[in-house]
Amino acid sequence: MKQAVRDQLGRIVAVALLATIAWAWFWRPPFSWTFGVFVLIGTVGAGIADGRYALRRIAGVIPVLVGVSFVVFALMASLPGDPAINILGPAATADQIAIVRTELGLDEPFFNRYGNWLGGVLTGDLGTSIVLREDVADGISRSMTPTLQIMAYSVVIALGFAIPLGIWAGYRQGTKTDGTINNVMLGFLATPNFVLAVMLVLFLSIGGLSVAGNEIGFRVLPAARYVPLGEDVVLHFKHMLLPSLALAMGQAAVFMRLLRSDMIATLRLPFIDLARSKGLPTRRILWRHALRPSSFTLLTVVGLTVGLLIGGALIVEFIFTIPGVGAYIFLGVTQRDFIAVQGGVLVISTLYIVVLTMSDFLYLALDPRLRGREVGARA
Amino acid sequence: MRKRLGFIFWLAVAYLVVLALAAVFADVLPIKDPAETFPGTSKQGPSLTHWFGNDGVGRDVFSRVIYGAQVSLVISTVGTVLALVIGGLLGMVSGYFSSRVDRWLTATLNATLVIPPLILFLALVLFLDGEAKRRIFILVFTFVLLSIAPIARVVRAATLSWAGQDFVLAARTLGARDGRVLFREILPNVAPSFVSYSLIIMAGLIVVEGSVAFLGLSVPPPTPTWGDMINKGRTNLDVAAHISLMPAIVMFVTVLALNFVGDKLQQYFEPRESVL
Repeated sequence: MKQAVRDQLGRIVAVALLATIAWAWFWRPPFSWTFGVFVLIGTVGAGIADGRYALRRIAGVIPVLVGVSFVVFALMASLPGDPAINILGPAATADQIAIVRTELGLDEPFFNRYGNWLGGVLTGDLGTSIVLREDVADGISRSMTPTLQIMAYSVVIALGFAIPLGIWAGYRQGTKTDGTINNVMLGFLATPNFVLAVMLVLFLSIGGLSVAGNEIGFRVLPAARYVPLGEDVVLHFKHMLLPSLALAMGQAAVFMRLLRSDMIATLRLPFIDLARSKGLPTRRILWRHALRPSSFTLLTVVGLTVGLLIGGALIVEFIFTIPGVGAYIFLGVTQRDFIAVQGGVLVISTLYIVVLTMSDFLYLALDPRLRGREVGARA
Repeated sequence: MRKRLGFIFWLAVAYLVVLALAAVFADVLPIKDPAETFPGTSKQGPSLTHWFGNDGVGRDVFSRVIYGAQVSLVISTVGTVLALVIGGLLGMVSGYFSSRVDRWLTATLNATLVIPPLILFLALVLFLDGEAKRRIFILVFTFVLLSIAPIARVVRAATLSWAGQDFVLAARTLGARDGRVLFREILPNVAPSFVSYSLIIMAGLIVVEGSVAFLGLSVPPPTPTWGDMINKGRTNLDVAAHISLMPAIVMFVTVLALNFVGDKLQQYFEPRESVL
């Protein structure tokens, strides 16, 4: 019985993941639930595939999480200036300052404060924002949706560009086609996402440059604002297209270059010659036989770029006035609201670590070749 | 047979040299004062007197781009050099010495990769005050912090492969001390890979500085920065796109040139490892 489950593990996990996505799409549960189910599937899958490895990995992640929480807290605690004065303004009297300091617990020793804060974090309490006067956990979970949407769309767009181009460039290695694809992608790699975003707004939404009275550009897409998915699906995607594109193209370049070099390596293997001598059409060889073994580095890197995407999402949210996590933290920074920043940085780092671990777990569950071996390049 | 680097490579190098020289000698070159407002030229497009046009208050965009290059180049160069020294040293030590040192260093370095760069940066920006010098210091500090781990990784991998070679073994058999082996035997072989990589890191730092300036958190306003110019120009994007477009193009070309030169050098030194 157990062996039977293990043999079909890849399929079972894949079906479970797809089912979760479908469930999340139709029933719209809170984000944390969906995420929790994903983590559960990944952990159980990895546990069945190689229980000892999964346990070791989880044991390794916990000190990192604690370390991150400590660094974030210590950083915010060592900020110059008295937070109480930041809240009350320079005109505050000594009595008022004393009251606010007690309220924030600033008079206690450092490790007590850290302990209290960590205790709160573990029960989902990130404190109350100083400026917004709002629960930080609520604020972050509210702003999480747009950020995750942008990130998800841009990964899809990036892969949509990178996979066909990477396959094609790898197949035509050394030719003009390969060179052109490479150079164009190098161009996108060199374009900072905020520059690309400004250019996209200029040429696709406000009519572009006007040369001698002629517009070189279009007015087809909206340049700002966020429309929730639940409100209007078409409008939602229309508004999300430019921000996602701005974020996606740099990633597409990275993905494409990786896939290309892996394709080149795969296409030299004997089984490709076998497939060819059996008379299979090129398209089938490329997409069916060569893509799968070439795509594992790509998948690892997709997981790793989540961290970059969060930073990029911040800028894109700023440009397109989307109320995401990046915008939330940015607001916290400009208002010197350290509780909001603390919460935001902690949540994002935690998410990033969990996502990285999960991506390793998922390979382990999905790819039988990896079982019993160390997964990924990271220790 | 020596390989050639190609025409575009030298074109890119020439561009970078010209840009760097222009930025360094901006004060003596016959270009306009970046702070001067020319009356009646607000939002004017490129012309013979003002090559890149004028911005919203009539300042010369060309000279502001040149002066903006100072900030970008200084911060990215200093950041890269420091990161190179620290990261390179850590990487070499980590790759050369026993597994325990290696394990600890690798684990510590990986831990710095856990916080997404721009987010970490924002958290550190809270420490910033208005004072320009302190701000530059913190910017550079953060950039160094962000680029140590990737550099150390690349150098570590290179050191690992060189440390196993016969000539290193020979040096050690002859009784050379670790320091000598590291600096005289391994460093010259590892150097090409991290010199070319450093250009790519530098390009990355220019982008990060640009992003930070775009958010209005880099060097404060009287000093022009590319990111800030692009951001401020957005308000006039529909009537005078050149205010954003010009610094954006210069920045794009600079980053492209750095990436290209770094890429080519890497292929030149190590044709096998020219993957990313």
